[in-house]
Amino acid sequence: MFKNRGHFYETMTGSGQVTTGPLPIGQFAQLVKRTVAHDPLFRNQALKGEVTQWKQYASGHTYFSLRDEDGQMSAVIWKGKCSIDPSIKEGSEVVVIATLDLYVKRGNIQLVVQRIEPVNVLGELEKAKRLLLEKLNQEGELERTRQRIPAVPKHIAIVTGAGSAALSDMHRLIDNRWPGLRRTVIGVLVQGPRAPQEIVRGLAVTRALANAEVAKHRNQPPVDLVILGRGGGSPEDLWAFNLEPVARAILASPVPVVSAVGHESDVLVSDLVADLRASTPSDAIERVVPSRNEIEFLLDEMDERLKVASQRQLIDCRQKITVLHSRLRVAPLAGLNRAKGEMMRIASRIERATRQSLNIQSNILARCEASLAAVHPQRVLERGYSMTQTAEGSVLSSVDGLQTGQDIILHFADGSADAQIIKTQKNEGTT
Amino acid sequence: MSDEKPTYTEAVLRLEAIVSTLERGGMGLDETLKLYEEGAELLKLCKSELAEAEGKLNELQLDEIESELQSEKQ
Repeated sequence: MFKNRGHFYETMTGSGQVTTGPLPIGQFAQLVKRTVAHDPLFRNQALKGEVTQWKQYASGHTYFSLRDEDGQMSAVIWKGKCSIDPSIKEGSEVVVIATLDLYVKRGNIQLVVQRIEPVNVLGELEKAKRLLLEKLNQEGELERTRQRIPAVPKHIAIVTGAGSAALSDMHRLIDNRWPGLRRTVIGVLVQGPRAPQEIVRGLAVTRALANAEVAKHRNQPPVDLVILGRGGGSPEDLWAFNLEPVARAILASPVPVVSAVGHESDVLVSDLVADLRASTPSDAIERVVPSRNEIEFLLDEMDERLKVASQRQLIDCRQKITVLHSRLRVAPLAGLNRAKGEMMRIASRIERATRQSLNIQSNILARCEASLAAVHPQRVLERGYSMTQTAEGSVLSSVDGLQTGQDIILHFADGSADAQIIKTQKNEGTT
Repeated sequence: MSDEKPTYTEAVLRLEAIVSTLERGGMGLDETLKLYEEGAELLKLCKSELAEAEGKLNELQLDEIESELQSEKQ
C-alpha cells in the first residue's frame, strides 16, 4: 500500500527520486502547491459567487470567501493587486479572476484574486426570474384557479417586516375600516440574503395557523387570509419576492395569499402566483378588509327589506283570503243564475233552429210542387197531344203488340174516347 | 342548502335571493313564512360572523411564533 503511494509520489514529482519512509508533510504541501500552480485549470480562472466574511485589513490585504449554494472557498486580494469596486460588500454577487494557491504554512487552499467585479446583479436575477416564470407557467401555476378572498376575514395573518412603515400603514387602515379586526403579524426580514428563507418560514407559520386544530389549540379562529407585503424599494431589495421558494410557499398556502409588495411598474413572481395582487400593502387592506360600517349598513338594509317584503306578502295572502271568502258566499246564487241563463239561451237556440228548419222544408216543398206541375200529363194534353191506353189501363207508347180490332181508350185534355185499331203501321227507321 | 354552516358570502347570497323572491311576491303563506324564517336565521348568522372577526392583535417575530408553535405541538 505504501509502495503504491511511493509510486504515486514518483509519478507526481517526475523526478525519479526514490524515498523511503513517510514523506514530511511540509514537503508534501509544497508538492501540492506546485502541482496546483502548474495546472492551467486552476490558473486565471473566472469564477462567480457571493461574497461572505468580507474583511479588509489594515495591512491592505482583503480576505473573504466566495460561496454559492453548493460550496465555498477562501479568497484573498493582496494589497494593491487589483482595484476593488466600493459597492462590493457582504452578500455581493461577484465575478473574480483568480488562481488557486496553497498557503503552505497552514495548508489552506485559497484563491488569489487578480480581478474582482460585481456582477450585473439585476441581469442575472432577471434571467433567473424569467426562467422561474417559464417553469411555473409550464406547470400551469400561473393559470391556476385562485382562492376566493373571504368577504369577512376572521383572522388575517400579515407576513412583513416587523416595525416597518408598511406595517403601521396596514394597522392604521385596518383600524379605520374594521376596528379590532383579528390579525397576527409575523415579523420577518423582507430584504437581504436571509429574506427568502424568513419569508418562506413566515408562510409556513401561516399554514400552521390556518390549521383548524392548531387554531383550536390557540383558542382563535384559523387564519383565513394571508397578506405578504413590504413597502417599496429597489428591484434588488424586492428580489426575495421573485424567488422560487417564496413562490412555492405562496402556492402551498391552504388559504388565499395577497401579494402586497410596494412597487409601481415591475411585476414580481409573488404577484403572479398569489391569489390576489395588490399594488401596495395599503392597497391590500383596502381590497380585503371590508368596512364594518358598510357591511352593517348592508345587513340592516337587508333586514328591513326582508321584513317589508314578508309583511307585504302576508297582507297579500290575507287579501286573497278575503276575496275568496266573499266569492264563496255568493257562489251558489251565482251558480243558479248562470244555470238559468244557460237554459234560456239553449231554449232560444232550439226555437231558432226549429224555425229555420221549417222554413227550409216549406221552400223545398214549394219548389217540388212547381216542378211537378210543370211535368203533369194534363199540361201536355192541353197542348193537343193525346194519351192512348189499352182497355186494361196500360199506357201505350208503341205500335208494337197492337192487334187489329183491339179496343183502346184515347185520353184528351177534356175527356176520353173508346176506339178500335183498324190497322197498324210502323214508321221506317224505328225499332 | 347543505347542512354545513354556510360561509358569510354564501349566507349573503342566499339572503339576497330570499329577499328578492319575497319582493317579487306571489307565493303562499307557508312559503312566505318559511322564507322569512330562513332569511332571519341567515341575518343572525351574518351578524354573528361580523362579531367573530373581532379579536386581539398578535404581533410576533418569526422566531417567537415558531417556538410558540413548536412548544404547543409537544
